[in-house]
Amino acid sequence: MKKTVGILSAAVLMTVAIAGCGADSGSNNNNSNKGSDSSAEVTLKDGKYDPPITITIAKQQDENAGKYLEGESLNDNVLTRWGEQNLGIKIETTLLGSDGGNYNTKLRLALSGSEKLPDLIPIYDTTLANDLIQSGQVKDIAEDIKKYMPDRLKEIYKQFPASFNPVIQDGKVYGMPISPNLSEGEVMLIRQDWLDKLHLKAPTTIDEFEKVIAAFTNDDPDGNGKKDTYGFTFSGKDGYNTGWVSDPIMIFSAYTGKNIVGQWNMDNGKLTYGSIASGNKEALAKLRDWYTKGYLNKELATLAAWDALADFTEGKAGIIVGNPWMYDSVKDVEKNVKGAKIAVAPTINGVSGERTYQTKQYNDGVFMFNKNFNNMEAFFLYYDKLYDAAFGTGDFKYGYAQGYDYDIVDGQVTYDPAKFNKPLEALQMVGKMAFTKNTPSVDGPGKSFYDLANGTKPDNGVLIRADAFSPTFKEGYVISYEERESLLPPAFNGAPTKTMQTNWEQLNTMEKETYTKIIYGKEPIEAFDEFVKQWNAKGGEEIIKEINDWYSNASKVDVMSKMGLN
Amino acid sequence: MYHKTKGYKAFSVINQIFLIAISLACFLPLLHLLAQSLSSKAAVNGNLVSFWPVDFNWDSYRITFDNSNFTGSMMISILRTVVGTLISMFVITTAGYAMSKDFRARNALMWLFVITMLFSGGLIPSYLLISSLGLKNTLWALVLPGAFGAYNLILIMNFFKTIPKALEEAAFIDGASFFQIFRKVYLPLSLPGLATVGLFIMVGHWNAWFDGLLYMSSTEKYPLASFLQTVVVQGNGQNMALSQSEAEAMSQQSLKAAQIFISIVPIIAVYPFLQRYFVKGIVLGAVKE
Repeated sequence: MKKTVGILSAAVLMTVAIAGCGADSGSNNNNSNKGSDSSAEVTLKDGKYDPPITITIAKQQDENAGKYLEGESLNDNVLTRWGEQNLGIKIETTLLGSDGGNYNTKLRLALSGSEKLPDLIPIYDTTLANDLIQSGQVKDIAEDIKKYMPDRLKEIYKQFPASFNPVIQDGKVYGMPISPNLSEGEVMLIRQDWLDKLHLKAPTTIDEFEKVIAAFTNDDPDGNGKKDTYGFTFSGKDGYNTGWVSDPIMIFSAYTGKNIVGQWNMDNGKLTYGSIASGNKEALAKLRDWYTKGYLNKELATLAAWDALADFTEGKAGIIVGNPWMYDSVKDVEKNVKGAKIAVAPTINGVSGERTYQTKQYNDGVFMFNKNFNNMEAFFLYYDKLYDAAFGTGDFKYGYAQGYDYDIVDGQVTYDPAKFNKPLEALQMVGKMAFTKNTPSVDGPGKSFYDLANGTKPDNGVLIRADAFSPTFKEGYVISYEERESLLPPAFNGAPTKTMQTNWEQLNTMEKETYTKIIYGKEPIEAFDEFVKQWNAKGGEEIIKEINDWYSNASKVDVMSKMGLN
Repeated sequence: MYHKTKGYKAFSVINQIFLIAISLACFLPLLHLLAQSLSSKAAVNGNLVSFWPVDFNWDSYRITFDNSNFTGSMMISILRTVVGTLISMFVITTAGYAMSKDFRARNALMWLFVITMLFSGGLIPSYLLISSLGLKNTLWALVLPGAFGAYNLILIMNFFKTIPKALEEAAFIDGASFFQIFRKVYLPLSLPGLATVGLFIMVGHWNAWFDGLLYMSSTEKYPLASFLQTVVVQGNGQNMALSQSEAEAMSQQSLKAAQIFISIVPIIAVYPFLQRYFVKGIVLGAVKE
């Protein structure tokens, strides 16, 4: 036994010693953690860096893995080569995460000092953004924005002051939102052939909506003599506001206006949480009634947003609400069912006659920069070039790379990969090969489609690309632009507050359960009042207070003028 | 004559029905996947496919094999499985042979091994270790950390213990060295155990995806399981910022089915060759004659 103890303790001492070394060298690395280059020797000759500089980046790449052409890879592809040749800027991914969770984990590991943080770090999680600020590893970039951000980008950033909230602390700006843009809103997709058969029109109010889904359920719209269709499919698995496809928010907003479920909204000068607004009670009563009559998907509470599409594609459901591009994802119904035809319509109006609202984020994540990174000018040069594709100017007038995301065949620009000189399975989204997850856009909720519909000639990439879509798809975007008033960004976009960190999960679960049980008829309508009481008692009230404090803080210091964005 | 009784016959029938049901429960999901991978996109997205392909076509397989990333990942997985299994088997058999003998520090060593079964450093220390050893982005990061498993060691050690000491002594008298005894007596006699443990390790390597995502910083270095994880497993549903192209990638259910199916085939193909050793089974203690 004695021996065992001896050997054990020796082993433990050994490991401690080894670990100690590791930790030491780690911290040394950190101290010698220089930026890519000291900025002194870097010179810009005719818009090109000579000698070339390297910007290291972190990247989250999902769905996209395995989407490079033959002979190209993450750090060596058409866009990185372009950057080296034309700007003298080499982009190198040194930290790669697959999905959101994995990416955040890897970044936290990098923060623990095991390796150098990349120069440029996109962050998609407000808690992590906050932790990075606390760690002191990221840079205050207010001055850099003022000095280096090109004017056309300043014009964009000026429109979205609130999008800076997650990276502002004590009047300093520790990053910037990634290509802020109020993108497309939601539209209603309806089976036009069913409407025609039953002599109905696309609904514009709750009552009309109810009539249509009742008919879709009871009057055998597909004419097969079986009662196997229903009116409205949506997802309730992750709450009752999905924000992209299979969204039920329209029904709730019809009764609560701007206080939409699952979102913080400004109500009479005070931020409140939409899910506790009294109008939800009526909305739930309505949904419950529809559910018992079979107008809704029987399994709505277990369906994820993407899975709720399947019933529409199969030809079982008649109405679905989501982004206009959802048409491409459900149009297979026209293949599966003979004679099926999809029409788009704007979302319905509320009971007060006002429009219905929906959640829309201004931006997906924020850029943050390593505190030792000294080439902000180079970053903005590159970033601005990426925007060429959005503005339809300069090098990227039609797209990023000929033969990848566009091609010129017989003098005509085409965006159909099957028609390319060297046909492809699908377009190569070159914009994603840089440091943004999505290609920057300045099109808002569909301005290019709206302009085309009003007679603008398609003369740049953005317009030609828009023009190439199918009529129904385009129509959806035109509606989305016309209805842009419906888009409601969340009024709270900071890191979770103190009480939120401890109680939010529980409150959220309670909310989902209560809503689902009421819709399923497992609890009386009155359960909603009880829920609101419980919600307030279990930390909700505290959270409302904290969020309002956050808001008054966020709007106190005028950082916009500090960045020259006023 | 127990198998002539009514009770036994009834049991036998029920037993077989039960076993068939269980095997169907394992087999039907695979069949469904295969049907999906051979159907058209429209049919799959419309929930029209069950166990028989609708609009039969090979497109998904063609696209998958044209994708250099998929085939590259497959090569990495195969390499990792072969190298990883060889290293693991070497480490475990040699250690198992030594541990099946009596020597003075044996118990202390055994304690050290068992501790690793119960406690691990956790994610962050492991990660720090691998990156400070400079193993990140190399094959070694995938094969070395898990090369030694205490559980497997105990299995192999117990197998070696069942081999009569007399055999070893005979070989020793004939002038064999310890290493020769190990190679020519012990290993050939414990093939069932080696095959079983080898298969555990192999399947483990083939299916491991987390380490690939953690230690590799470019997609072309992913093993197949990690690659599939990024393609097949979707984010957490709340994907508000999803762009249209991403949405399209998500709706390729038939393509995903093909990729999953292809990834299962190699490891299934290994089973029949090892089947005959399993009959012997594995000993975790107790007597088996």
